[in-house]
Amino acid sequence: MTIVQPSGGGAAGRPSSSGGGLADVIDTILDKGLVIDVYVSVALVGIELLTINARVVVASVDTYLRFAQAVNRLDLAEGQKGLPELMQDMTQGVAKSKTKGIAQGALEAAGEKLRDFISEPAEEPAPRRRRMREED
Amino acid sequence: MGRSTPSPAAPGSERNAHEGRDTRQVAKVPEDAPAPEPRQGAGAPHPGQAGEAAGAAGVPGEQATASYIYGILPGDVELTPEVRGVGDPPGEIRLVRHDDIAALISDLRLNRPLGKPKDLMAHQQLLDDVASEVPVLPLRFGAVMESPEAIVRELLAPHHDEFRTALDELEGRAQYVVKARYEEGTVLREVLQEQPEASRLREEIRDLPEDATWDARIRLGEIVNQSIEAKRDADTQALAEGLAPHAVAIVIREPTHEEDAAHLAVLVETDRQDDFEEALDEFGRRWADRVTLRLLGPQAPYDFVMTQM
Repeated sequence: MTIVQPSGGGAAGRPSSSGGGLADVIDTILDKGLVIDVYVSVALVGIELLTINARVVVASVDTYLRFAQAVNRLDLAEGQKGLPELMQDMTQGVAKSKTKGIAQGALEAAGEKLRDFISEPAEEPAPRRRRMREED
Repeated sequence: MGRSTPSPAAPGSERNAHEGRDTRQVAKVPEDAPAPEPRQGAGAPHPGQAGEAAGAAGVPGEQATASYIYGILPGDVELTPEVRGVGDPPGEIRLVRHDDIAALISDLRLNRPLGKPKDLMAHQQLLDDVASEVPVLPLRFGAVMESPEAIVRELLAPHHDEFRTALDELEGRAQYVVKARYEEGTVLREVLQEQPEASRLREEIRDLPEDATWDARIRLGEIVNQSIEAKRDADTQALAEGLAPHAVAIVIREPTHEEDAAHLAVLVETDRQDDFEEALDEFGRRWADRVTLRLLGPQAPYDFVMTQM
């Protein structure tokens, strides 16, 4: 499984946002979207396209060992809820948002993640501006 | 959609999940924007507006440039140029028109490999922003042609009718991505309850050193993995069926993590978005403590433009 993490980025104190934005983008724009014969032109144009693999899950010995480890650590005595030590950091932030409506909370969380990866405060003094409207 | 209410002011986008955040300004563009010339002649090199933008796309002749293509839009769209494209420094976005369709492009210098995280983010952010207002056919990341003229000649003109038809179909529709991930503790407990062998193996490896229980661990992990795969299939099916009445179309995506419960792309009528989200909330309640749901979007319809040409 290849997951590309952005260097730096991510708001401090928010481990829950790791694995968010960029990973989601990679899942979406690398192997989806319109494919056309212009890719022939890419070679002609002569630009180098960095190859980044879309994320795929391939079950392996490592996967099995990790599951075995997780099962071994599992404390069956502990009830249905809780088990914070077993929960991935990643899921925590979003899990919390369940209390106020899954869809809405997740939307907000996703927005934050995207923003985290994008915001480079020093670099974007001007707000983004764009307008679209009917042209008569 | 933006075009149905032709107002010179910012068209109201029905739903902006990122209200108040600084990167999504499309829906609330102030009129005091120092609007540059509304349109550039296709292919004409244009100096950047200010600051870092200067030199981004305005060094004619010095550097070989090509045209990066983000997607195909209706031709009756007006775009304020912005320096937010792929490349370093980022290119200025603009439209190349042909008949009643247009390609959204930016100039790209060829002296640097393309595909860094920033490029990927820029590609999707731009397309998603555009898609919130007008129909768009998103291209897969990495489409580059040698010039705007070549885009018209080799891309827009030959495929005009297909593009036009697809754009009409996408009017008023948006893509959402639903990601569901099992809570590890909960799903492992389910597996142990349902699979006696897993339970037995767990006892077997307990308190023994790892190297003494290699085979048992592998077997245990394999059972867990298989069980989760079966659960994923069932839960994905259930989710897709539950959302189907509120969707135009659904694509089941490959999992991106071994504990994924479901990964779907859903095409939704914008005015039925509330129904869709309510249906998803229903699953959230049903799966509370078991599955974490994430909803991404609205996005450009990446998963619904796979027609080969």
